[in-house]
Amino acid sequence: MTQQTQFTKAVGNASEINELLRRYGVKFGIYKNGVFNEQFFPFDPIPRVISAEDFQSIEKGLVQRVNALNEFLFDIYHEKKIVRDGIIPEDFIYISKGYLAECEGITPKNKVYSHISGIDLVQAKDGEWYILEDNLRIPSGASYPLIARDLTRIAAPQAFEENPIIDNRGYAELLKETMEHVNCGGARAILTPGRYNAAYFEHSYLAEHTGSVLVQNDELFVEDNILYHRTYSGGKTRIGVLYRRIADEYLDPLTFLPESLIGIPNLMEAYRSGNVGIINAPGNGVADDKGIYYFVPKMIKYYLGEEPILKNAPTYLPFYEEDMKYVMEHLDTLVIKDVAEAGGYGVVFGSDLTKEKLEEFRKTIIAEPRRFIAQEVIDFLDLPILENGETVMRKADLRAFVLSGETTKVWASGLTRFSRNPDSFVVNSSQGGGFKDTWVLSR
Amino acid sequence: MGTISLEHSDRLYWLGRYTERFFTTIKALSKQFDKMIGTAHSYNDYLDCFGLPDTYMDNKDFIRSLLFDENNAHSAAYSLERAYDNGIVLREEISTDSLSFLQMAKDTLTKAGKIDNVRLALLPLEDIIYSFWGSINEHIFDDEIRNIIYIGKTLERLDLYIRMKYPFDIVEKEFVRLCKNLNRVPKGTPYRYSTKHLSVLVEILGSEEDYKREADRAVDSLGHLFETEEVFV
Repeated sequence: MTQQTQFTKAVGNASEINELLRRYGVKFGIYKNGVFNEQFFPFDPIPRVISAEDFQSIEKGLVQRVNALNEFLFDIYHEKKIVRDGIIPEDFIYISKGYLAECEGITPKNKVYSHISGIDLVQAKDGEWYILEDNLRIPSGASYPLIARDLTRIAAPQAFEENPIIDNRGYAELLKETMEHVNCGGARAILTPGRYNAAYFEHSYLAEHTGSVLVQNDELFVEDNILYHRTYSGGKTRIGVLYRRIADEYLDPLTFLPESLIGIPNLMEAYRSGNVGIINAPGNGVADDKGIYYFVPKMIKYYLGEEPILKNAPTYLPFYEEDMKYVMEHLDTLVIKDVAEAGGYGVVFGSDLTKEKLEEFRKTIIAEPRRFIAQEVIDFLDLPILENGETVMRKADLRAFVLSGETTKVWASGLTRFSRNPDSFVVNSSQGGGFKDTWVLSR
Repeated sequence: MGTISLEHSDRLYWLGRYTERFFTTIKALSKQFDKMIGTAHSYNDYLDCFGLPDTYMDNKDFIRSLLFDENNAHSAAYSLERAYDNGIVLREEISTDSLSFLQMAKDTLTKAGKIDNVRLALLPLEDIIYSFWGSINEHIFDDEIRNIIYIGKTLERLDLYIRMKYPFDIVEKEFVRLCKNLNRVPKGTPYRYSTKHLSVLVEILGSEEDYKREADRAVDSLGHLFETEEVFV
């Protein structure tokens, strides 16, 4: 019996826990045909189990990766040694939508750029873990396993009595420490675009649990390069650290998109002056670009002088002639990703395309080689889920959360998302996926 | 936490008002349901309290619309939705636990809409709202935040009780409760009362005779209680 199968029967039934999740309003928002709907995020009660030994290796690998990515970000916005030394072609930096010239020369407090990194991994059938992508801008999802664990412990306490599961409920404390590490003096705030954002539940839940103020842009203003929260009595409270949950380009209309209605004028000046910490740092998109992903193992060697502990999925860049040749020859077996897309969009499996579509796609790749990456389809481990009382197997990934404060720490948990469609590899909640608890064993 | 924005103070106030409106509405409709047993088309006294026209086919249509129709701005369902809309953006102030009672009320109301014995199905809703208020009391440490919600709650209750012609002794008690909450509001904040309108209320709600004679004027003053006063120099 595999370890996963052994735990299949360990937790309570799906309806009990889903009822509790419903009661606590665990939802995500989704826009369909321009209409906003809130949906309950389907939870599967069979946990993903990660052995202590596996986690130890994942933890080391993730700390190594995130440390290298933080070094890379500092380098890119300062000396760009990695480009000068020919490790990464400059095309990949300056063409990247995530590279922001406005961030040149800015050094965030304590040199941390990616305070909260969401690293997506999959486990192959041979047990090997692969990194699928890095999310260094505003990775979401930590609140779901956090509240699910709380509720699972209510619904099935025996599972936690009988199994050596590391308690994951310290995430908010970890996040608070991370925020405090870059606090420039003042209150902690979480900036949300508002109730109609897909991740609003998470914004409000994390604000509640970290004791931060949940704010929208019109409650904030910058005066003399200091960020303030406007209070209802007409006063102001200084904000020392802002965990923003809006994209870079909308953050400050005077620096980025002038048409942004959700930003804070002059925020970047306050940040540049070192008067407010912004989590994650603006400009991080250059490091989690799907094109840059290819170079992360090289970054680890370059900045840390170490061999990468965790592997990337085998990836090809049509930008390189040799890789283009391989991609053209194997297009029908590869998965092609549009580097500008996220959330499971812009992902095409060659095997799903008709002959005509394949040819059409081939031409697009040749015309815009920098726009795509191609990856081998990893035959990743299916996980059991309960469907109508039956156990069925589905594709699943793991988003691990790595928090960089005084030191870099991996949260002993994560968001395991699964596809509810038996023929799909796409696990994103926006595309109908569900989630399950992730148990990291202590021994 | 110590920092409340204008937007959140407004949400807190309306959370209090809509939750109370929901609660008082279900209790009033439950009583109305009892009054209507065996009497056809007997709900006009309820509609008159709010100056509403009779657009209902029969007793059943009236009770179902006023309880469950989210598109009817005078229904319990509408008030609960608005309470939830305000509550959901206040999670970090009121707590996930408090919010869960509003979600539970929504689910229970939906279930009640599918049951024939409406009155019986409404009973758990009263329990849930009592729990919600208990949770608010338990989880909110900031007196200012709690007081804004309570101002909304007591003002709404007083408004409804006056409109529904509740006995003077009950209205008087609710007015005292509102005054206690108003006295806790710091100067210079939006829920600082207008002296002019509070004086009118004190005058009218000071005696049973005035209350009976000038209830409409009391409701009007309640509606203007937080108006900024003109300052003459």
